[in-house]
Amino acid sequence: MIQLQSISKSYPVGRNVTEVLKDIDLIIQQSEFAAIMGPSGSGKTTLMNIIGCLDHATSGSYYLNEKLVTGYSEKEVAHIRNRDIGFVFQQFHLLPRLSALQNVELPMIYAGIRKKERRQKARDALHQVGLSDYAVYAPNELSGGQKQRVAIARAIVNQPDLILADEPTGALDTTTGKQVMAHFKQLNKEGTTIIVVTHEPGIAGYADRVITIQDGLLLDGNDIGRSRETLT
Amino acid sequence: MSVLENVKLALSSLRSHKMRSVLTMLGIIIGVGSVMAIVAIGQAGEETLKSQIAGTEHTVELLNMPDEGDLQHNATPVTDPFTEEDIRTIEQIPEVTEVVATSSEFSNVRFHEEVLGASVKGINQAHIQVHGMEAAEGRLLQAADFLGAGNHAMISAVVRDDLFADTSPIGEIMYINSSPVKVVGVLTEQEGLMDLGETEVFLSRNTWRNVFSKRNINQVTLKADSADDLQVAGTKAASLLNQTHGTENEYQVVNMDEIMTGIGQVTRVMTIVIGSVAGVSLLVGGIGVMNIMLVSVTERTREIGIRMSLGATRGQILTQFLIESVTLTVIGGLIGISLGQASAILVSQLAGWTVQVSLPVMFGGLIFSMFIGILFGIIPANKASQLDPIASLRYE
Repeated sequence: MIQLQSISKSYPVGRNVTEVLKDIDLIIQQSEFAAIMGPSGSGKTTLMNIIGCLDHATSGSYYLNEKLVTGYSEKEVAHIRNRDIGFVFQQFHLLPRLSALQNVELPMIYAGIRKKERRQKARDALHQVGLSDYAVYAPNELSGGQKQRVAIARAIVNQPDLILADEPTGALDTTTGKQVMAHFKQLNKEGTTIIVVTHEPGIAGYADRVITIQDGLLLDGNDIGRSRETLT
Repeated sequence: MSVLENVKLALSSLRSHKMRSVLTMLGIIIGVGSVMAIVAIGQAGEETLKSQIAGTEHTVELLNMPDEGDLQHNATPVTDPFTEEDIRTIEQIPEVTEVVATSSEFSNVRFHEEVLGASVKGINQAHIQVHGMEAAEGRLLQAADFLGAGNHAMISAVVRDDLFADTSPIGEIMYINSSPVKVVGVLTEQEGLMDLGETEVFLSRNTWRNVFSKRNINQVTLKADSADDLQVAGTKAASLLNQTHGTENEYQVVNMDEIMTGIGQVTRVMTIVIGSVAGVSLLVGGIGVMNIMLVSVTERTREIGIRMSLGATRGQILTQFLIESVTLTVIGGLIGISLGQASAILVSQLAGWTVQVSLPVMFGGLIFSMFIGILFGIIPANKASQLDPIASLRYE
């Protein structure tokens, strides 16, 4: 499903050029649950952004569902983000002026789905994360865990093949963090590919495969289908 | 994402900063409002001016204008521009319904010890109807006055006030050029811009001839049933007169259309000049919109990043912000149009002009507000659409 071939990313910092990712080769199969681990500054978020089509690699090729995304236009890339990928962020990134339901509707607005259908699908998605009763609540009326579940509902509402989560439990306490991870586990069982970026080993523990990155280099976990039992 | 949804989104985002939105709108309201008011007041003024000039509808004045060369070479000056014969000739033209022939002479008018310089006019009966004369006191000159020489006179209100301070003028005898005339009526003052209260005395043509011992006619006005007939009548009359007097182009027709066009041009230029000054305030309002939209884009950087991560294209972000600024200026424009029209109506009523509510102008104002929204919204909207999604998501 995801195939990175010698992906590099570098930023100009002052006069120097910082290489964030160095020649990354990575394959992630359909329906995998992978965790990308590494200390802060290791390049794990940049890697996720490239996989999520939010960022472009400086060099290398990226295939998503056998299609070369690297040369896609801005519009095509936006389309992929809309249809094929769902994002979950550490800071939830809900729009504060919209209700939970309206937040979940957002990706469908950009997918051009009609209002009635949108409403129904958004309710279904909220039901799936157990927040049916909170549809009209504004984000600031919800707890951290509830916000993140709204974000998950928003990520899954267009039924993407891939969900990318960047430190999804980073702003949550352990108990709610566990609940959120349980949602991911459930989605993965239903066939969705999940990639979680984290620096907490406990969270990485939910994944079937742990990819470790340090100083822009893949250290470990690049063998396809390596199970978490062998790691621990 | 449909336009309607974008407008709803824009409204909710404008509502979330009520004070700011209203203040920004105020610039547009004042700008559009003042331009609207000036255009409407200008139109009302122009119409009023025109209707007063054209108050004597379907009439045209014949002029005797000897060219300068003739005046210099001919020792004998042309004393009688129009003769009684001319009037009878013109009356024969089929398109002509009425001929108003007027003689006038500036003369002293005396009543007891009071003396007043007035324009004394000898008129025919057609004059009364064509110029819509009405009596404020007493009566108008009647058919009998025009047939005989009853030495009756009508005076304007100014003459009454100056000459008959305490007494009613009706039935009194006053002296013009040593001839006694009896006042039978006082005319109502003609309302309007152009009439500043004339000092006039009207006699029948017969009486006038007796008083001044002259026969000359200074002014001939034709009336026809339609503007087209009038054109024909005027041209025919002028060429007939040139024929009988053996002159070339000495008799001409004053074309009211040309005068109207001239007045139209003058008022339009004035409207444009004052309107441009008001337009400057609209420009300032537009810059205010741009300023606030730029602030809004910066404040909502994170929102833009979130929307992009959820699949919004740069085009959709651009549209969202453009519609927001257009919504702002259109609401401001609508309020401005209403206020502008309201003040125009107020001013017109105070000035006693015909109130003009011009739908094309209002519609034009709406389109213009929209245009202002696009013009001053495009830079902020473009800025929003060019943001980098990752940097935007990280923006605090």
